[in-house]
Amino acid sequence: MGLDPADDTERASARGDPRARLDALRARLAPPASSRGLRPVLPLGLAALDQHLPGGGLALGPPHEIAPATPVDMIAALGFALALCARQLARASEAALIAAAPGQPLPYGHGLAGLGLDPTRLVLLEAGSDAEVFRALEAALHAGSLAVLIGLLREGLPLKPGRRLQLAAEGPAPPLLLILRPAACGLPNGAATRWRIAAAPAARDRFGTLDRPRWRARLERCRNGRGGDWLLEWDHAAHRLHLPESLAGDASAAGRSRA
Amino acid sequence: MAAEGPGGLRLLALDPEARALGLNPGEPLGRVRARIGVPLQVYPADPMADREALLRLCRWASGYAPLVAPFGPAEAADGLYIDVDGASHLRGGETNLVADLAARLARGGISARIALADTPGAAFALARHGEADRTVVAPGGSAEALRGLPLEALRLDPDMAAGLRRLGLRRVGELDALPRAPLARRFGEALLLRLDQALARRPEPLAPLSDEAEYAAARGFLDPIGRQSDIVRTARDLMAEIAPRLERDGLGACALRLALHRVDGAVRPLDLGLSRPERCPERVAALVSLRLDRLGSGLDAGFGFETVALTVTVSGAMPARQTDLGTATAGDGVGILADALAQRLGRVLLRLEPEASHLPERADRSCPWMADPGQGSPPDMAGGRAPAYLPPSPAGKRGRARASASPVAYPVTPPWPDHLPPRPLVLFPRGEAALDVLSTVPEGPPRRFSWRAQVHRVAHAEGPERIAAEWWREPGAERDYYRVECEAGHRLWLYRDGPHGPDRPAAWYVHGLFA
Repeated sequence: MGLDPADDTERASARGDPRARLDALRARLAPPASSRGLRPVLPLGLAALDQHLPGGGLALGPPHEIAPATPVDMIAALGFALALCARQLARASEAALIAAAPGQPLPYGHGLAGLGLDPTRLVLLEAGSDAEVFRALEAALHAGSLAVLIGLLREGLPLKPGRRLQLAAEGPAPPLLLILRPAACGLPNGAATRWRIAAAPAARDRFGTLDRPRWRARLERCRNGRGGDWLLEWDHAAHRLHLPESLAGDASAAGRSRA
Repeated sequence: MAAEGPGGLRLLALDPEARALGLNPGEPLGRVRARIGVPLQVYPADPMADREALLRLCRWASGYAPLVAPFGPAEAADGLYIDVDGASHLRGGETNLVADLAARLARGGISARIALADTPGAAFALARHGEADRTVVAPGGSAEALRGLPLEALRLDPDMAAGLRRLGLRRVGELDALPRAPLARRFGEALLLRLDQALARRPEPLAPLSDEAEYAAARGFLDPIGRQSDIVRTARDLMAEIAPRLERDGLGACALRLALHRVDGAVRPLDLGLSRPERCPERVAALVSLRLDRLGSGLDAGFGFETVALTVTVSGAMPARQTDLGTATAGDGVGILADALAQRLGRVLLRLEPEASHLPERADRSCPWMADPGQGSPPDMAGGRAPAYLPPSPAGKRGRARASASPVAYPVTPPWPDHLPPRPLVLFPRGEAALDVLSTVPEGPPRRFSWRAQVHRVAHAEGPERIAAEWWREPGAERDYYRVECEAGHRLWLYRDGPHGPDRPAAWYVHGLFA
């Protein structure tokens, strides 16, 4: 009657649509500083993947877990992480840090070119334990000025270091990738995504030789997103991930990789 | 011989040969040339170098006693005082000390006259105007020893000495016997001051060698400190004290030592290394804090520390750099991280460098990450350089990278070769044996093998790439490398060690893994 029209519509929507009402309540409750939509992301450049991830890419800051499917797939997981690293280094001008627990493989300088990485932009640390890796990554997050942080863990990411890393990554932060043991997944630890990587037969060029590495990537867990399962192909020249099905390549190879 | 010019060139110092010719310091050079037909060798004086040499000698002499002072301008700046009070017994008495000093100086090619007396004034008088080269005066004997010396021994200025000489006064003893008031009225207070200083009637403080050159600062506490935050704050204050001196000389600290003196006399030194010259107090404080974090209870504070001293042990050139407001360069960030990790974990950051070897396991190595002194950041290659697909001319590539990024490229790092066949992402330090190898032809790639307790069936093989052993280092067989893809999709780098012979089956090894 004598009411404000805006008030009137709000009341109408509140009465009618519970979803709109929930949204209004969420907007009122959400703290203004930590709005998740504003956190910058590293898009993977592949619509099929990016639409599964909140914000359209890997969130910069919170840790992302990358686990091999079997112990032999460790190198595939390392390759996937370094591919993401190469993607980010192509956008930034800083260096990347790789901190490895004892027994974890460090990359071979001459092999990095095959993934499109420049060895001079990598800084390595041979840590003495998982705890040292966490400390080093935390120090790197505080120091800033690094484009990518990769940690190679012997075990997994427990809850406490995960929370510490999350806190250290407040504000502008680089992508933080953790490669863990195959069996070390399961407990909640503050990681934003968890990937499971397995090797897959590589793409062939037109002469039938090995050309581009392929990995079977499963997004097992994704906060505020959806899981998925893809066969990915890494193009080291363009720093892009592809879906092999979308290429008009060697049909027999694609068929075998699906089998 | 040296000559300098106050109103024309004058002789300043003479060697014994010239002294034998009857020359005196202070004579005009022109008159000397006219008087003596002998060709003179004249060198220009270099007061700065003389001063430097004297300071060096002072620093050396501080091994005898902590308080060493160089001669000032009133003493012609050609000698030094050592206050051996309380230190002479370390050398077995005063006589032995003087003998030792004389012997060492003589061995160093320095002719010296040494006197040891109650006061600096008396020692100076005896050293410069005494009879013997070496004099040791017993305590209380100064007045007696000085009595017969000429007035110049009292460090008077030449005009005053000449005036006294005109009055018929020649010896110190004669001057001392006169009533003091008329002397003071006639010649001023300075004469009596010098006399009293020589005869120990008035104290004469020595100006010790300042240690400003070695960039150190210390702070003592009445109440001993023991808390980490207090130590860190003290370290920051000390660094803030040192920083202006470093900045004035264009230097930065590369290594620091923080000495914590405990109340019971124990000293706890903490050595801090930095990846690049630094003079920022906040960063030094952060490093101290990280180091104390790591030590934890290992730093035994006991009843507390009463003195905290910070010394720059290694300094490096740190030219003033203009930085963008509020932003640090990439190398700065890595440098900060390298220092933080060195203090906190005791580990160094590594970087990969290529080596000039064609054996894969020798072709790269990891070496400690170092800040580039010129630029501060590792050379920024144009975003995501991928040698495999760029044109194979190395000159063009380096040039492009240089043009797009830093003007100073790494001079020490050789470039990564870009013409190699594909290399694995992970290389084992030495090949791991592949067992039960089955191949269709003896010279060909394997069809099946077991490695790490797993049977691998080969779906695809490429090769061989033959790499010969480095015969100049050690003999070895040449290797045939194959890129192999298993049916499960794993890609391995296998090699056959040596050729296949009828009497000797080929040995196969897994040397690396592809992504």
